[in-house]
Amino acid sequence: MSEEKKQNQREEDLAIKIDYENLDVEDIMNQIKKRIAARPPQEEEPPAEKTAPELLEMGRPPSPSPPPGLKSKVRRFLLKIMRPFAPLIKLLILPVDEELRETVENLDYTNRRLDSLTERFHQELSRIDQVLGRLEAKIDFNHQIVNERLDAAFKDLGRAKEYTKLLHQLTHNLVVEITKLKIEEDHLKIQSRILEKDLAFLNRREKEVEKKVFP
Amino acid sequence: MRIAFVVQRYGLEINGGAELHCRWIAEHMKKYYEVEVLTTKAYDYITWENYYLDDREEINGVPVRRFPVVRPRNPVRFGRIQDYVFHHEHRIEDELKWLEEEGPLVPDLIHYIDQHRADYDFFIFFSYRYYHSYWGIHTVPEKSLLVPTAEHDPVVYLQIFKELFRLPQAFIYNSVEEREMIQRVADNAHILGDVVGVGVEIPTVISTEPFRQERELEDDYLLYIGRIDENKGCDKLFQYFLKFKERTRHSIKLVLVGSTKLTIPHHPDIRYLGFVSEEEKFAALKGALLLVMPSFYESLSMVTLEAWALEKPVLANARCEVLRGQCRRSQGGLYYEDYEEFEEALKLLLEDEKLRAALGRNGRRYFVNNYTWEVIENKYINIINKLTEERS
Repeated sequence: MSEEKKQNQREEDLAIKIDYENLDVEDIMNQIKKRIAARPPQEEEPPAEKTAPELLEMGRPPSPSPPPGLKSKVRRFLLKIMRPFAPLIKLLILPVDEELRETVENLDYTNRRLDSLTERFHQELSRIDQVLGRLEAKIDFNHQIVNERLDAAFKDLGRAKEYTKLLHQLTHNLVVEITKLKIEEDHLKIQSRILEKDLAFLNRREKEVEKKVFP
Repeated sequence: MRIAFVVQRYGLEINGGAELHCRWIAEHMKKYYEVEVLTTKAYDYITWENYYLDDREEINGVPVRRFPVVRPRNPVRFGRIQDYVFHHEHRIEDELKWLEEEGPLVPDLIHYIDQHRADYDFFIFFSYRYYHSYWGIHTVPEKSLLVPTAEHDPVVYLQIFKELFRLPQAFIYNSVEEREMIQRVADNAHILGDVVGVGVEIPTVISTEPFRQERELEDDYLLYIGRIDENKGCDKLFQYFLKFKERTRHSIKLVLVGSTKLTIPHHPDIRYLGFVSEEEKFAALKGALLLVMPSFYESLSMVTLEAWALEKPVLANARCEVLRGQCRRSQGGLYYEDYEEFEEALKLLLEDEKLRAALGRNGRRYFVNNYTWEVIENKYINIINKLTEERS
């Protein structure tokens, strides 16, 4: 198969097939993506060479075409010698060579595409790493804040516990003191009642004595 | 039934985002309920400086009550706090400070809601990320509905919003992706909610020829409509488009419509039309081969819906989950993640007229099934009816 035919076949394979009645935009986009993936990565193209009339228009003469060199003479001579063997060469070597060349070309395209995709992949990975790093730092920061707050809360809780204990002790002491005071009060009440009785007895005695002394 | 729509800005001059979304919903819901809009006096969404003078006015038949912003936003200070909150270990208090700096700081609006809670049956808050929604929902959670208009940005992950997303009685989402994101963030799947979005009104007659002649647009063109801003992915769009031109030598032009905050590259194939009328916008859309949406953050792209309404295919940024999801659900557009996909998808769209037509047809079907005003109004009414039933 000639180079041109193969090229046509290749283009045919990559041609975008559209079902106009049942349009599927996603499918079209997938075909476009496939088409892009199959071609070599774009490189900065040199500016298109100007045609002779264009150059003349710009006021510059077109550069003369290069003279045929020794290389092309030798090539032509060799081709002349090899012409009788051409069918055999074509039959045995060229198809293999062509296929090999095409495969190498394809491999080259694929490798370049793979390289660019790998590069993009690494860029994305490093971006994700950065984001993850930022997130980790955020988590650490939040963790630290939470820990600090927990520590402070535990400290407060400890203080509150001590305070409660003291309050409890104080209450206990107060109860004891109040009980003591109550007993004291009762005791004093009894004393005062005894004294009242003694006083009443002394009054009665005084009256009796008075009666005896001043009848 | 009396319903208050609470939104950060409101006015005919504001022609995009959640504010326009709110205005359209309020104007359509006035057929069914007694509606009122509670908003601020601000016009500029960067500084929130008071612009409107009247406390009360009526816009397209909807009464509007405005409250003054007590302190405009200081972008430098806000930027500093935002940077701290987004990138550093912080406390809830810092997030609340961020919210206050973000504004619009309208305590009077919150006092009004507090004092007049009995006067309204429901409060529908638009845009979760601003002061009015956060404190408004905290004030009347029992009567709140939230239209979050959330984008997948760092704000949605702030702690204060996780709690906020558990307060309203119902959610009105703009897209399936928005619902998934909010439910993932706040674990609030138990709260009533529906994916609704907003309807789009398309003029019955759109004539492209006078527009093309007036603007001298002879060739085929891609169209971008919206704020020309880095946040909307326009810088990448310019870069990709110029590279596409260089590599393919295609004659396609890029036409830009909208206000710009970005330097547009000087290139013969990039045409900036500036801010245009609605009529011209639709003419531009109808005349375009396709709409390109390079935005990274969208909760619902109205202009994408408009393109689909006009049977135009869309080429969207796949890194925006909402746009990619909309393209997949509608089968109305292709999407790209990098330049290579942009080039292939654009080439395919430019070369295959049949594909463009099929995508446009699908987009139109998706629009009719989900985003006509009848569908949107019914979804709002259903949610309100469900809440009323639950309440009684």
